Amino acid sequence: MPRAIWSGSISFGLVSIPVKLYSAISEKSVRFNQIDSRNGARVRQMRVNAETGEEVPYAEIVKGFEIAKDTYVTVTDEELAAFAPDATHSLDLECFVDLDEIDPIFFDGAYHVAPSTVAKPYALLVRAMEEANKVAIARFVMRSKEHVAVLRPRDGTLVLSMMVYADELNAASDIGEFDDVAAVEVDQRELAMAESLIASLSEAFEPESYHDTYRDKVLDLVERKSSGEVVRADVTAAPSADAVVDLMAALEASVRAAKASRSRHPSAATKRAPAPQQAARKQPAAKQAQSAKKTAPKQPAPKQPAPKQPAAKQAQAAKQVAVSVAARKAAPRKSAAKSSPVRKSA
Amino acid sequence: MASVVTEVDGRSLTLSNLDKVLYPATGTTKSEVIAYYAAIAPVMARHTSGRCITFRRFPDGVDGSSFFEKRCPSHRPDWVPVAVGPGDRRGIVEYCRLEETAAFVWAANLAALELHAPMARCEDLDAPLMVVFDLDPGEGTGIAECARVALDLRDICQAVGLEMWAKTSGSKGMQCYVPLNSAHTHEHCSDFAHAAGRLLAQRRPTGVLTTMGKKDRVGKVFVDWSQNSRHKTTICAYSLRARPEPTVSCPVDWDEVAAATEGAPMRFTSDEVLDRVQARGDLFAPTVDLVQHLPVAKSG
Repeated sequence: MPRAIWSGSISFGLVSIPVKLYSAISEKSVRFNQIDSRNGARVRQMRVNAETGEEVPYAEIVKGFEIAKDTYVTVTDEELAAFAPDATHSLDLECFVDLDEIDPIFFDGAYHVAPSTVAKPYALLVRAMEEANKVAIARFVMRSKEHVAVLRPRDGTLVLSMMVYADELNAASDIGEFDDVAAVEVDQRELAMAESLIASLSEAFEPESYHDTYRDKVLDLVERKSSGEVVRADVTAAPSADAVVDLMAALEASVRAAKASRSRHPSAATKRAPAPQQAARKQPAAKQAQSAKKTAPKQPAPKQPAPKQPAAKQAQAAKQVAVSVAARKAAPRKSAAKSSPVRKSA
Repeated sequence: MASVVTEVDGRSLTLSNLDKVLYPATGTTKSEVIAYYAAIAPVMARHTSGRCITFRRFPDGVDGSSFFEKRCPSHRPDWVPVAVGPGDRRGIVEYCRLEETAAFVWAANLAALELHAPMARCEDLDAPLMVVFDLDPGEGTGIAECARVALDLRDICQAVGLEMWAKTSGSKGMQCYVPLNSAHTHEHCSDFAHAAGRLLAQRRPTGVLTTMGKKDRVGKVFVDWSQNSRHKTTICAYSLRARPEPTVSCPVDWDEVAAATEGAPMRFTSDEVLDRVQARGDLFAPTVDLVQHLPVAKSG
């Protein structure tokens, strides 16, 4: 259940409808932390005095407005608080308009508007707006800022689309390149061709079919690296079809090498493993019962020293695990290097 | 060898770090883990089919850190189906389903050594298809004591007309399963398992207990009946375990269980399991479709 970020009342005329606002959008960008590549530690930010280089205590920081180069007027929080609009908790509907009248360039973020106590007056307003086919221009104060927004019905509920103020829009006329556009003359044949191209590409809008593929790829990269995969940065084309090998062929070389290294250095490889393993292996299930009494008491013995042997290695491994993924990225060879000494002894 | 592109039953897969050692004590590499899962998949898939599978991944091998992965990774191939299963704090969870060999190979390549599943299939999460008894040996006990408890449990179940199957946990203990494949609730299964466990504890108060306290477990086998709840998972039959050696949770027959009470080792590595399955088939095959009904508790 998401948390309401504002609560108050829609008010118009004598009517007041208690509502809550919930964010209608969760932005999904990939957030990285900054890491010192040398030891994998997080990088911390520190506020320092630009002249002395010393860290500035939080209590000593005030706001400064630059009126000329290197000249500031400082203001205190108390001074600003005096101007802050009162948090009236009222969403005032100023007028009702047609949605088409509003240029989408004004829209900036959206909230779900939910009834906070009784549903009836809320539902009534939704229905009435649907019937009238109108949307409301609303003003309200949130986080000590006055906002203008459009309140509109959507699938039986109300949505508040935030708007920027007209004086916050950058005028297109400020951009020189547009001057040339007005001067262009188009001929009818070219226009007809462009129009037919548009017609051929016209289809229903499906928001679900658009994804942030960059984000998907970054998250995939992170996932693969976190599972220990060494990811190469080179962006060569996808492997060609003839590079595809049969699974057993793909595994064979590696499996054979692993088995060979075990038999080559049986003493090192199987300091603990072979005794119980071989014994168990050679005995089909039926025979196990008879020979069991002899082998059984022995079994725990080799088990004990075993964990001790890799202990040092474990500590080492633990250290490596503690180093963050980002650090691993800095030294991508590490995982390969880590496995080879183990194999040598194995 | 950095990575290699392969095709399994027409599914294209990229395998990576094949030479990476996942079991340092035996030098067992990822390629061997993948080879095991590829070989066992046709048998194992019968038991994982239609279930929400939780991966326990060991990217740095069994000596490194591990994590349980319920949410099926977003980078899964599009032919690995997902199913909504028991959720977590963050809402609904889509789990991976392992329905074909290629999916097992893919999971093995993620170093998902251990595969865990709930008792219900994903089409009806409220309908457990079997009762599980997880036998966990306390300090000073081992597989022999578990085997003795398993035989007693089997007697109890037989007394009410239920057949039971056993497997090693692949770790220290065992699990016993009563297949149902008929309409039951988790509460019913849980109550039944708890009652059977208590009956055992009454019979042999020094050897069995059904309460969780760790220190009470010394010298006893803990009969964990709580594994029958909706959100719990149990190691899948034929899954590898993250033990020093690549041991497997392996179905066994009751002669083997009886032999184990006498001290016969009951512990199977991946290679041994493949040999067994080749020679004896899937001992767990009947659990997939045998229909049984738990006794209905009498009120009062």
